[in-house]
Amino acid sequence: MTTFALSRDRHEARSRPRPRRKPRRLRRALTGWAFAGPATLLILGLSVFPAVWAFVISRTKWNGIAPAKPVGWGNYETMAQDPQAAAAVGHTLWLTALFVPSSILLGMLVAVALNQKIRLVAFYRTCIFVPYVASAAATGILATFVFNPQFGAANEVLRRLGLPAQQFLESRSQALPVIVLIALWGEIGFTAVIYLAALQDIPVELTEAATVDGAGRWRVFWHVTLPQLRPVTVFTAVWQTITAIQLFDLVYTTTRGGPLQSTETVVYYVYELAFQTQRFGYGSAVAYGLFVVTMLLTLGIFWYSRRSKIEAF
Amino acid sequence: MMQFWNARRRFLGGAVLALGLLAAGCTSGTPVDDTKDAAAGYDPNADVTITWWTGQSSDAETMAEKLATEFHASHPHITVNTSAGASTTDELLTKLSAGFTSGTYPDVSYAYGSWAGQLAASGRTQNLTQWVADPQMAWSEIPEAARSTATVDGRVIGVPALVDNLALIYNKTLFDKAHVAYPTDTWSWDDFRAAAKQLTDTSKNLYGAAYSVAGSEDTTWHLWPLLWQHGGKILDGDKPAFNSDAGVAALETLRQIAVDDKSMYLDQTDEKYAQLFNDNRIGMMISGPWSLYDMGEAKVDYGVSFLPGYNGDHETISGPDVWVLFDHSDANRAGAARTFLQWLTGKDVDVRWNLGNGNLPLRSSEAATKEFADYCAQYPGAQKFFDNLANAKQARPTVEAYPEVSRYVGQAIASVLQGASTPKEALDKAAQQAAVALRG
Repeated sequence: MTTFALSRDRHEARSRPRPRRKPRRLRRALTGWAFAGPATLLILGLSVFPAVWAFVISRTKWNGIAPAKPVGWGNYETMAQDPQAAAAVGHTLWLTALFVPSSILLGMLVAVALNQKIRLVAFYRTCIFVPYVASAAATGILATFVFNPQFGAANEVLRRLGLPAQQFLESRSQALPVIVLIALWGEIGFTAVIYLAALQDIPVELTEAATVDGAGRWRVFWHVTLPQLRPVTVFTAVWQTITAIQLFDLVYTTTRGGPLQSTETVVYYVYELAFQTQRFGYGSAVAYGLFVVTMLLTLGIFWYSRRSKIEAF
Repeated sequence: MMQFWNARRRFLGGAVLALGLLAAGCTSGTPVDDTKDAAAGYDPNADVTITWWTGQSSDAETMAEKLATEFHASHPHITVNTSAGASTTDELLTKLSAGFTSGTYPDVSYAYGSWAGQLAASGRTQNLTQWVADPQMAWSEIPEAARSTATVDGRVIGVPALVDNLALIYNKTLFDKAHVAYPTDTWSWDDFRAAAKQLTDTSKNLYGAAYSVAGSEDTTWHLWPLLWQHGGKILDGDKPAFNSDAGVAALETLRQIAVDDKSMYLDQTDEKYAQLFNDNRIGMMISGPWSLYDMGEAKVDYGVSFLPGYNGDHETISGPDVWVLFDHSDANRAGAARTFLQWLTGKDVDVRWNLGNGNLPLRSSEAATKEFADYCAQYPGAQKFFDNLANAKQARPTVEAYPEVSRYVGQAIASVLQGASTPKEALDKAAQQAAVALRG
């Protein structure tokens, strides 16, 4: 857009004999802002303003109704000592550790399978992608029916197989892995499509050359295909990590953080603080804590991918 | 380039500062002084327009709009702008808080009873204490628990909009199948426990009783009647008192049914147990008159009785909602809003409004009306809920921190019923957390 403005100015310079300097500069600036303005206003109003406001709120004690009381960094100090916040961080880390590697591995596996020349491949590809299109809220509600310990289909299957019935979402130890399972069902479509596109971008000559040199299929995959997929892997790892860290809708629709807070993720904890107990100040502080961590993580991976020359972004 | 950078940085710095200041402004605002009467000097002949947030949807909202038109016909000086206020009643509080920030809050709004403390703390409510004492208001016809919910620190901030209470609803089909005698109004919690045990058959997925362990207010307020029956209190002044021996005994009663007998369906979401009751999976649930409509639709064969009691005390709890009146520093608006509310909550209009929407009548004087007889015929068990209003003697505390206190107690109950801690431990921990919240 700047280029456009510049070329326009040059054109006008030619047609007018002595362009005065000031209006031209002003005009240039105005043209620029006319293009950038609407988007800038949108971003300022819908992203920057709420973010700044949240920061202001995070330094107060406020229930949304009564006048806010400034408490300085008090909310952040509370956060550092809050066992429930620490537990929420633990659950989020555990969830990320389970979710990210499995979604990458399974996505890659599915993508490799769907990259074969098989009949009805387009149909299978659609099938794999459909769960990703379904909203997480709908997925969550459906999953509560499937995993209901008393009346659900999952236990019915276990019973037919002669296995003992499980509590699933109502057991403190199983609820989190079950949520990961549900999240995977929805997200594999996404990673699979990304990997599929990456696989199809790998030049055929490379694999052919390797095959001619006598490499078996496994060695071709390991030494040729996999290195080619590295940028995509960095990208999906970042993307899926952010997805896992921000997971809220599935938790909300399946367990509401229960049983006994065993699936309470950081984002759900923020929701509970702000909208269940009306502690907007403390909730904002925890949200800012999450923001800082996500930011550092992203910057770290940026730095890593630049340093190791992987063009992930 | 460098210059450009500096200019941009300065601009951004300025913008961030401005945003910060704007944001800081959003969390504060000037509350109204409510020591003087908001409607003092009201001129009944002045033309006034007031705003009414009903918090209702579909049929009830249509009826509200009809009533507003009717009111305008009989009071031509007052125009009532009617809207639901928010897409769901739950979101009204958020809308109100946004309204306070921008100064565009309504004159009259529906509010859950549990919000009363917070709304009063906004400093924008009217002080109605003297007005409701007017004999024309017939204030004492409204159940006491509902009146105290509308009263915060001795100041009346609104008029009850809806009254309800918790009673024992039982599934006759399941009782007949298990050959268990139906509950009576004089049942003790031991009777309840024994029946729950007899009705439970986990191999068939049948449960005698149900309880929400979502840790929400639904979890919490079901415990309060038991606490009161044991002679306990929720708060003592501004300190938590629910972890007394009475509280521990109350929670122990539930723990035995859930953990020792395993005859209680523990609902993680507080939405499923009513559906399972309607599917003939749950024998008894403790719920309110709002369940009557769904049970009728599901064609369940049910009965209603008072809550089981402890030592013959069958005290229950009421969860009244309130029409809160707000002050706009305009005597005419305040006065008009009061005239409107007096009309809306009066006996003649309330039989149409509350009974027409399937709720209990607001005033005891409505019991003799034909509309009430029709309502009881349409909803079996409604009469029992109406009689049960007499058992609702205490109200939940109207303190600002109640939602937070409720959360801690809810989590304590959930952990006990799922066998993760003992009543004493869990309630003590909740009391510690609540004490911090109450200190403010």
